[in-house]
Amino acid sequence: MINDKVSLKFHFHIKRHRKINRSMAGNVTLFIFMGIAGIFMAIPLVFVVSNAFKPLDELFRYPPTLFPRHITTNNFSDLFVLMSNSWVPFSRYILNTIIITGGGTLGHVIVASLAAYPLAKHDFPGKNLLFSMVVLSLMFTWQVTQVPNYLIISKLGINNTYLAVILPAFAYGLGLYLMKQFMEQIPDSLLESARLDGASEFRIFWSIVMPNVKPAWLTLAILQFQTMWGNTGSQFLRDEQLKPLQYALFQIVNSGPARQGAAAVVTLIIAAVPIIFFLIFNSSIIETMTTSGMKE
Amino acid sequence: MNKRLTLKQRNAIVGLTFILPWLIGFLIYYVGSLFLTIQFSLSKVIIGKTGGYTTSFIGISNFKNALLVDPNFNQILVNSIIDILIDIPFIIFFSLFIAILLNQKFKGRAFVRAIFFLPILLTAGAVQSSLQLATQHIMGGASAMMKELTPSSGVNVNYFLGIFQELGLPSVLVDYVTSLVSRIFDIVRASSVQIIIFIAALQSIPNSLYESAKIEGATSYEIFWKITFPMVTPLILANVVYTVVDSFVNSNVVELAFNEAFTNYNYGLSAAMSILSTVAILLILGLITLFISRRTFYYN
Repeated sequence: MINDKVSLKFHFHIKRHRKINRSMAGNVTLFIFMGIAGIFMAIPLVFVVSNAFKPLDELFRYPPTLFPRHITTNNFSDLFVLMSNSWVPFSRYILNTIIITGGGTLGHVIVASLAAYPLAKHDFPGKNLLFSMVVLSLMFTWQVTQVPNYLIISKLGINNTYLAVILPAFAYGLGLYLMKQFMEQIPDSLLESARLDGASEFRIFWSIVMPNVKPAWLTLAILQFQTMWGNTGSQFLRDEQLKPLQYALFQIVNSGPARQGAAAVVTLIIAAVPIIFFLIFNSSIIETMTTSGMKE
Repeated sequence: MNKRLTLKQRNAIVGLTFILPWLIGFLIYYVGSLFLTIQFSLSKVIIGKTGGYTTSFIGISNFKNALLVDPNFNQILVNSIIDILIDIPFIIFFSLFIAILLNQKFKGRAFVRAIFFLPILLTAGAVQSSLQLATQHIMGGASAMMKELTPSSGVNVNYFLGIFQELGLPSVLVDYVTSLVSRIFDIVRASSVQIIIFIAALQSIPNSLYESAKIEGATSYEIFWKITFPMVTPLILANVVYTVVDSFVNSNVVELAFNEAFTNYNYGLSAAMSILSTVAILLILGLITLFISRRTFYYN
């Protein structure tokens, strides 16, 4: 079965290739365009990486060099010294980040998908009103609603706990919006046949809807991970024991010119983690077929 | 008839249990914030010396202040909206284009995709602030950095402007093109999430559609317009909404409201400003949504 599919795809791959050959010039133009755009976007990353390996005097050189002339790993050892001297052990910060980022990402994806399913595939009174509220809530940016947000969190009594950072992520509207748009693409007849076979709504959601929108929730996980990873939680988390890695790393960046070597490594770490996460998740977005199981 | 109603009711109950976890959070946190913001906008907020705050109702004078007294608000609001409208079509087409390219099979696809996702990683929040801070420490202040950056892009734009005007193109078009050129990096950066969303949309188009089209002998051009494009239209809508929200969040008018609250401590005026700008953006978004959703194709 699987072999069949592969050979079929392979066959089409060849076929498509032959067709494109006619417009070789277009392909070359595209390649050049993509190359330029790609280099354009990758240069800041090259800087981040090479800065981490530059000795301090080269970091301060002007104009800056793209590649380090004398590669050193002193910056890394500097960072480790700084880490081991910190008042709260660094493993604690890492644990906090895992709880906040993991909880926020997982919760957001699950809660948003659950809510999106009835909005996309069921009819009930107030559905459109609810959906308009979601779009409205997207417009209320944290910059502007900071004060009300803080008031609500402290009224709930979850200020200075992990929940203050994690819970708002659960209810954020963007994930719901995205998942709803994707779920609407699932054919009704697929759900109908599952219902006829006596599957419960949750079963339909879990074994039919979610596998079919796998690209969607993997994408959502990537976006949400990136948001949660960047969250320093400084508004709500006062105790040093609760603060995430981001915050601790930021203190190092902020601690003046002498620490810039370690700061460069910090920037590398902050940038590298979401990129690795992206690479892992994106490679598992393989082609899923919306109508798999459908014969029309 | 009776039975049908109960089925409907049962459906409603099942639907609500699915939505409930999200709805509770949403009502408490987001709708709660919304009401507090409206309350602030209608009152004078005084911060107590020992912490806490008191509000006194003053009607719509905050809104009057924002619209009639504040020297910058109107103009910044209009400019922000115009910027957003200019960017939308470009961002949508650019991201769809890139997504289609990145959706093809080639070696190192995941790596190239990651490169196009980089801007959002490198400019969002933490990374950018740490880069900026590091640059400040190294180069001695933000002002020095700004001076380094401005002349090069300024020269480029003027150069293009000159060429276009000598060709005798209408100045509106020239303005549009030059404003795009001068913001090209912003636009590319702002397309990252949209590219990812479009890739997911392209992935969920059933292969069987392409197969049958190929068997029928459709050309690539026909396949794009008859299959790919209609199938991604729901996500074009989603991406337009995302683009509007994203540009709005980063726009000057939000920054103005933010400064009003946290540098001038005028929470009432800030809340009024954010409500006014939100309403304006929502109107525009509503019109765009109406326009696109008429043309949106759903698989069923």
